[in-house]
Amino acid sequence: MTGRSTRSPRRRTVVAMFIVLAVIGAFVIRLVDIQVVNANDHIEQSLELGLSSSQKTYGTRGTIVDENGATLAGSIVLYDAQLDPKLVGPIDRTIDGEDVKVPWETISAEIAAVTGQTAEEIQAIVAAALAENPESRYARLTSGLTTAQYRELADMKIPYLAFVAHPARTYPDGAVAGNLVGFVGSDGTPLAGLEVSQDGCLASTDGEIRYQRGGDGVVIPGTMTEKPAVDGGTLQLTINRDLNWYLQQLIAEQTQNTGAKSGSIFVVEVKTGAIRAAAEYPTVDPNAPTAVDESDRASRIFRNTFEPGSTFKALSAAMLVDSGTANPFSVVHVPFRQTFDNGASVRDDLQHPDYDYTLNGVLVNSSNVGISTFAGMMSDQARYDYLTKFGIGQGTDVDFLGEANGLVRDPSQWDNQTKYNTSYGQGLTTTVPELANAYQAIANGGLKLPLRLVESCTAADGTVTTPDNGEPTQVISPEAARQVTDMLENVATKGSVSEKVGIAGYRIALKTGTAEKVDPGAGTYKVGSYFTTIAGFAPADDPQYVVVVTLDEPTTIKSSSANAPAFREAMTQVLKTYRIMPSNSASPDLPTFG
Amino acid sequence: MSADLLAALDEFAPSARPVDTRAPRLRPVEQAAVRRRPRLAYGIVAVLGAAAIVAAQMVVSILTTQDTYAISTLTSQQRQLTWDRQILYDEVAGLSSPQYLAANASALGMVISEAPTFLRLSDGALVGASQAAGWQSSIDAVGRGAVANALITQTPLVTDPAATIEGTPVEVTDETGQSVIPPALTDGLPTPTTR
Repeated sequence: MTGRSTRSPRRRTVVAMFIVLAVIGAFVIRLVDIQVVNANDHIEQSLELGLSSSQKTYGTRGTIVDENGATLAGSIVLYDAQLDPKLVGPIDRTIDGEDVKVPWETISAEIAAVTGQTAEEIQAIVAAALAENPESRYARLTSGLTTAQYRELADMKIPYLAFVAHPARTYPDGAVAGNLVGFVGSDGTPLAGLEVSQDGCLASTDGEIRYQRGGDGVVIPGTMTEKPAVDGGTLQLTINRDLNWYLQQLIAEQTQNTGAKSGSIFVVEVKTGAIRAAAEYPTVDPNAPTAVDESDRASRIFRNTFEPGSTFKALSAAMLVDSGTANPFSVVHVPFRQTFDNGASVRDDLQHPDYDYTLNGVLVNSSNVGISTFAGMMSDQARYDYLTKFGIGQGTDVDFLGEANGLVRDPSQWDNQTKYNTSYGQGLTTTVPELANAYQAIANGGLKLPLRLVESCTAADGTVTTPDNGEPTQVISPEAARQVTDMLENVATKGSVSEKVGIAGYRIALKTGTAEKVDPGAGTYKVGSYFTTIAGFAPADDPQYVVVVTLDEPTTIKSSSANAPAFREAMTQVLKTYRIMPSNSASPDLPTFG
Repeated sequence: MSADLLAALDEFAPSARPVDTRAPRLRPVEQAAVRRRPRLAYGIVAVLGAAAIVAAQMVVSILTTQDTYAISTLTSQQRQLTWDRQILYDEVAGLSSPQYLAANASALGMVISEAPTFLRLSDGALVGASQAAGWQSSIDAVGRGAVANALITQTPLVTDPAATIEGTPVEVTDETGQSVIPPALTDGLPTPTTR
């Protein structure tokens, strides 16, 4: 059986089998490649070649809500209408059982009644498109139609009228927190505020549906593939909508009453660093951003820097007490005008005889000479370091779109005058959030918390991300903070605005500021125009909220007294909103004179 | 190859065939076996099975098609409901805003009291200033409505249909029917020019 005759055919068979197996193997590999490895590509390809149609599906842009979940920004759908000029003409309609040809003039008038245009305008659009190209198949009729308008037009069943839906933005509360929320353009591009800076949270991902249709327009079973659209996340802010509205109405009235250029009220929660309100006037209604001047469309609170003036005396006092240089009872001799050893000259606001003021008295009577004399007891570098620790010139952790930083020059660049000016808030700049953050530190036992505007972002799948905030900083000791608070309470009870800021039952701590403004053209301070501020917190026995009220160049009253009514109303509303109980004790009474 | 073939042919060569003396391996059958009747049942089962498969396929196909139509109807229903929802949302947009609520309350004569007073539930004590609210509201939500909302600028207040959140419109018309709106005072009271 192993003879030559039998061995040969078997070998042939084996060879043939191998060849067959090899071919089969090649086919199997190719099959697996087509059906498994590259299956998706081929499905894509087949759909492109095939008779399928596809439809883009839009995800919904995420909503922006306040601390209680009230919607500040939501998404709606608007419609664009377009005409097919080539087909424009009379339409056959059945009216009372009779077939009538309705002329284009009547049709255009019907459309116009819904879109708010005139029949002539619509006819002109079609005529213009046809004049340009007699074969024209597209002419834009109008955009931004509401669903109600769209349905009314669609129900007319005009064959040459088509619609395109596109997502749009709506702001149910109008200008409430419009300065923070920002707005988007008509094409959906975020243009301002949190809409831009938090776009990563809010943006949605578009999806697509592909399918094949039967003759009657019904989707053929088994041909539909869907890539689902992903909705944007919900952005929760720390803002309280109702409080913010009240403060916006308040600052609008006060800005008008005092004849100021602009005004703002800023509220920070002492124990959390959360910004509860950022009201300003004038401001923007994100539903109609073009209705206001371009300079009013962004937040002045975050973008403007200013020389703060006497509100900085609280910071100077804080560093004096914390460093052990002085205490509320330390006394200095204060003439109306003082020329220091280095030649710098400082004077007080109002003419007065020589006094022996305590540090407390210096704050209560807001003496520039007094605080300059005290500040001279510390090194420039130490004062600079304290200001930096308070966050002045450092910006805040909010990182708002276009947020400005204050500017404190390095002490090596301070000239003789600046050395003293900086102790009462001139010769340096800050921002409202920086100032509020510094006062938050004093109110919170010396512990400065990072300011927060965004609470969290909840993605469509439910995952919650909270923004990465900075670390708290112990700026001054709790004992120093308490002593500064005591002095600021004396400012509230005995200072220039004491009769206007009192809230029955509550202990208030505050400091006023009437700062000179640099005239950018002349490079000198403006005469008779001031940037006025009151910064304070309550209840002083257990501080809960910091309120900063600013007015830019008030004219009816030019000093910080202009801010007093707004400060009292704002603080009252904050205390009511958060159900803060009245204080059970009286403010301490510290000596003013030594 | 040719050698093999020759060898094979050689075996069938008639001349050298030896006589076989053994009994033949093939022989005729003595009695033919009775031909069995084909089983009808198998046939019926096979045909019925085929028919059942065809029928089942048709039923499934019909059901799928029907479902497709049902889905199509539901989809159009859903689309209609989505439109309805959008229309209703557009209609009420802005009505929940604080400025609308406050303007309505203000038009009713409600005021915002300045001094906070609390009623403590545990012992019923009044905590705070305990003053009655004054006649004047701390802000003028309807007369000087300053927080704009383009969604409801034209929406009349529920409590005062003549007013909106921007206050009561002052519409004065002269003889020609033209609207006469007095110029806004922006720089305080005008000063008379005296000589």
